Formats: sequence, structure tokens, C-alpha cells
Amino acid sequence: MSMRRLLVANRGEIALRIVRAARARGIETVLAASVADKDSQAAHEADRTIVIGAAPARSSYLDGRVLVHTALQTGCDALHPGYGFLSERASFAALCEANGIVFVGPTSESIRLVGDKLAARTLARAAGVSMVSGSEKVASVEEAQRIAAHIGYPVITKASAGGGGRGMLVARSAEDLSAGFDTSSHEAQEAFGDGTLYLERYVERARHVEVQVIGDGLGTILHFGERDCSLQRRYQKMMEEAPAAILSEQVRRRLHQAAIDLLAPIKYRNAGTVEFLYDEERDQFYFMEVNARIQVEHPVSEAVCGVDLIQLQLAVASGEPLHLTQADIVTRGHAIEVRILAEDPMRNFTPSPGRITTWAPPAGPGVRLDTAMCEGTLVPPYYDSMIGKLIVHGADRAQALERLRQALHDFVIEGIATNLQLLRAIAEHPDIASNQIDTRWSERVLLPAFALL
Amino acid sequence: MTEVNLEDVQALIELFDASQWDELHIVSKGFEIHLSNDPADRGRLSGATALAPAPLRGDAAASTAHTGPSTPTSPARPAPRAVAPQAPQAQPTPAGHVTIRAGSLGTFYMAPKPGAKPYVEIGQRVQPDTDVCVIEVMKLFTSVQAGVTGVVRQVLVKDAELVEFDQPLFLIEVTE
Repeated sequence: MSMRRLLVANRGEIALRIVRAARARGIETVLAASVADKDSQAAHEADRTIVIGAAPARSSYLDGRVLVHTALQTGCDALHPGYGFLSERASFAALCEANGIVFVGPTSESIRLVGDKLAARTLARAAGVSMVSGSEKVASVEEAQRIAAHIGYPVITKASAGGGGRGMLVARSAEDLSAGFDTSSHEAQEAFGDGTLYLERYVERARHVEVQVIGDGLGTILHFGERDCSLQRRYQKMMEEAPAAILSEQVRRRLHQAAIDLLAPIKYRNAGTVEFLYDEERDQFYFMEVNARIQVEHPVSEAVCGVDLIQLQLAVASGEPLHLTQADIVTRGHAIEVRILAEDPMRNFTPSPGRITTWAPPAGPGVRLDTAMCEGTLVPPYYDSMIGKLIVHGADRAQALERLRQALHDFVIEGIATNLQLLRAIAEHPDIASNQIDTRWSERVLLPAFALL
Repeated sequence: MTEVNLEDVQALIELFDASQWDELHIVSKGFEIHLSNDPADRGRLSGATALAPAPLRGDAAASTAHTGPSTPTSPARPAPRAVAPQAPQAQPTPAGHVTIRAGSLGTFYMAPKPGAKPYVEIGQRVQPDTDVCVIEVMKLFTSVQAGVTGVVRQVLVKDAELVEFDQPLFLIEVTE
């Protein structure tokens, strides 16, 4: 099937990115936009824009029936969900499938399978991929304490149905567990509609590393190297790099193979990411979860691999063969991405929507900016606060960092508060230059220091 | 008020829209807003500190009717970006008329089923609870009511066409 017309069911920079990737492949685009986004840059560049609903996401970007109806009525043969919103909702992929709309992503069955954390752990176990010692679902505090005594403290509780920090509790003792277990379960219930928890050994100094893959749906999985996304605040990534410089070549190869072994048996289709936790002390990685979508940080992998992952997504969805073998994918240099947010770090990261009065982006060799913003754009208050992604690429990590520092120095945004100053502090921090961070570095070192600036 | 944010401005506009007021003018420290039902009444602001509330319209709950002159709120300063050419809400509503708008995206149908008599025809009198059309989303049909007492003067969409959220469907001359 060759794709003719694509419904872009997202907003912001990723909607624009998808519109342009489709155009490069000669595919027409229809943008599904909320009222708040009907004058967005993506709306200007799409062949057609349809206002699908009111500004709040639940009345627009989260209304699967309206999206599929729009796709059908505008003659689209495919739909790209982007990231967030409905991108990993199995029922939405199924609704597209049932109506003859190609979902640019995995099958609904795969999404369901990898989306359930416990099912994904079963998959990893079957593939022989190492995991942090942990449990099946835990029904009560007493059971949690029994299991924790066996695994050894500290332990962390996790929600079976989702991530993002909700339902997570680090317990260093049986008392910690009895104090917080019910709260965590309640939190998971509120966030995901499912309060099921499981336990894992807690790694004190962990790195977040992840492998970018694309599957052809027939059992071939190609990887596009790995990323290090250890710089996080409250489980939200702030900076991502490719490759993960901390890994030895041997561990890196095993990491890539683990991702392939995990997804090949289910004939995974389209783009996905396998996330691992890397324990620096033990020089060992452990499977965490699969993200069944294109991710925010995909450009760093594009930079080092010299590919366009969105175009590859469209090719796979069109049923084309991959035209690539693993040997064709060679990484070159080092890339770093930082997320520009309309948030005020000095006011507890409060979102700061409003009109951008000055937008002077950086430029130069190895500098890429993925954004839908410009001077005069109104950042609406209804959605995620990310307004851009700055990606730099250099011959090595030192050059990439130098380019990042320069680009952040040159970037001027006025009219709204942003995290630019915090990003500059990160880029200039000696721990970043020496690559001595872990997933809790920002809470432990960066933010306390920044508050004193 | 110390900090005026977008939600405050939006709340003011909604309050103004729901009222019978002709004008609303508020001056506070570092903030000034002027809302008016008179399209000629522009540029009334005293300083350059004004917040532009322009693009906030249309995010209120799905409405069936907007009364009054063409621009119920004059933006303090026009939005710097051009309006998309395909924006469906461009046409001004003549005085004494209301526009019935689509409360959701969907396929517009004039009649309950193909070949049946349409819900309303041009020239027909309607009451607030008169069904004027249905909008279908994935086989789910939602009827749309007139919301006012009046006469149907124009049908602004073709039968079986896709309508966008908030798109004008009918022009009704208000008789009460």
C-alpha cells in the first residue's frame, strides 16, 4: 500500500515535523488541530487543517472517535499519532485498524503487550534480557515486606499500568513500605485507573539508557544506537545524548542485542524504544520498559545515524521494505538535545504560557532546532510546556557540548519565562563535562545549586 | 489584582460575553483591558502594557448561538499572526441574527435519514428546542437545537459535509 494522505493527530513541534517529513515523501497532510492550534505553524504548512474540537485535549487530541472520523471524511489512508496523547493507546490503534486507517506505529496488539509493565517483564524474561530483581504484582503491604526482605532493601514500588513517577516509592525499610504502600497504590489508581504495584530492587546510582529501534513487522528489528537520558527532574527528561558515552563497547553491543531480542519475537512494527537502567557500579544494565511510539528525543539518534526516523516510520507504515540493514547504520560523532520549556525554574517550574515577544534562535554548524514557535506565537495554557528542542551535533562529546553552550548562550526568548538559564547552567556544569551524573543528579546537585544562583 | 494571567483574561472575556454590557474597562497596576461590543471602538488603551487577549476566543464550551454584532470583543491589539485562510468563523453575523455553530466536529446531516424530510428549511420558524440538524461522529448522531426563537434564513453547509468544531451551520433571524 502506498500512502497518499496522512492525518497528523498531534500538535506543536512534532506535528510540524511530521507534516514536513510527509511532504518530503510526497504524502499530502491533513492536520487535526484544536481551536487553540488552528493558526499554528503546522496548520500553515499542512495541505489542509481541520479544527477537531475545543482547546482542552480531552475535547480534541484525546478524542479518538473524532480523529478517526476526520481521517475517514478527509480521505486519509493513514494517521500519525506523534507522541503523548493517544500514541500508545491500544484501543485507538485498534479503532484505526478497524476503520481501514493505517496507524503509523505498532499494532494494537503490540501496544497492549508492551504497555503492560508486567507483561513486558514476562517478554523480557522469555528473551533472556536481564532485569532488576523484582516481583509480580503485589497485593498488600505484608506481601511487599515479605518480597522486599528477599530482594534486599532499598526497593522501589512501580505501577503496573504506567510510568512518569506516579506510584513510585523508594523504601529503605519495612517501615517505609508500610508508611507509603497504600498511598502509592492510590496514586497509581488515580493516574492510570489501575492501582496494581510491583516491586524492584532500587539502584541508588542509575543511568537511564535506551535503544532506538524500528521493526518491519515481519520479525526484523534494526537498532539506531542508544541514548543516555539520565538528566531528569521528577522522571521528566531534561537532556538526552547519543551515544551513551558511559558504556563500554562490549556492554553497548549487548544492550542493542537485548532490545532486538526482546522485540523480534513479537514481530514489533515501526518505531520503538527499549529503556534500560544502567548500574554503573555493577557495569550491568536492566530492562525497564518499552515505549511503543516515536519519542521526543529521537533527533539525537537521527543526528548520529544520519537518518530521518519519521520518514522511516512513514515508509514502514506504507508497507515498504526497510531498504537498510544493520550494517548500513553507522553512528558518527556525538549529539545532545535539551528541551526548551515554557516553565519558570525560579518559581518551582510553574508553566508560563503567554505571547512570545522575542524569539532569536541560535544557528551554526551542527545546530538543529525543532520547534513550532516564532516571534508573536501564543503559547497556550492547555498543553505540555515544551516549546522547542535544541539539538547539537559534533565530532565528539566535547565539541557537541561546546556547541550546546554557544547555542544556549545565543538563544533569546522574551515574553514568557523559560528554562534557558537552567539549561545554560547544566551545559556549563563540570559534572556534565566529566559525564558524572545519574538519574537523581539534578535533584541532588543541580537544582540546589541553581536555587542559590 | 497583582498578577494577571491568561486565565484571568479569558474569564473576563467569558464574563463579558455572557453579560449584556456594551463595554468593560479595567485598569490595574501594569495591566489594562478594554472589551467592547462596538467594532469601531478600538485603540482605547492608554499605554503599551496591554495584554492581547485575541486568540482566546472559541475555547468556551461548545456553544450553539452567538448573538450580537460581529466582534463581541475588540482585541486590545490585533494578533500579530495572520488568521489561517481556511478558518471557518470569518463571516460576520448581520444585526438581529444569530449563527448556530457546530458544537463538535462531525458530518452534518439536514435530515434524520437519507431521503427523509429535512429538520428545517429556509423560511421556517424555529423555537429554542427545535432540532435543526444532526452531526454524526463514527455512527453516533447528535442533534443540534436552534437555541433561539426565529426564522431560518440561510443554511451555511451542504448536506453530508464534514463540519469542523465551531463552524457556522445556520443563520437565524431572531424574532423575539
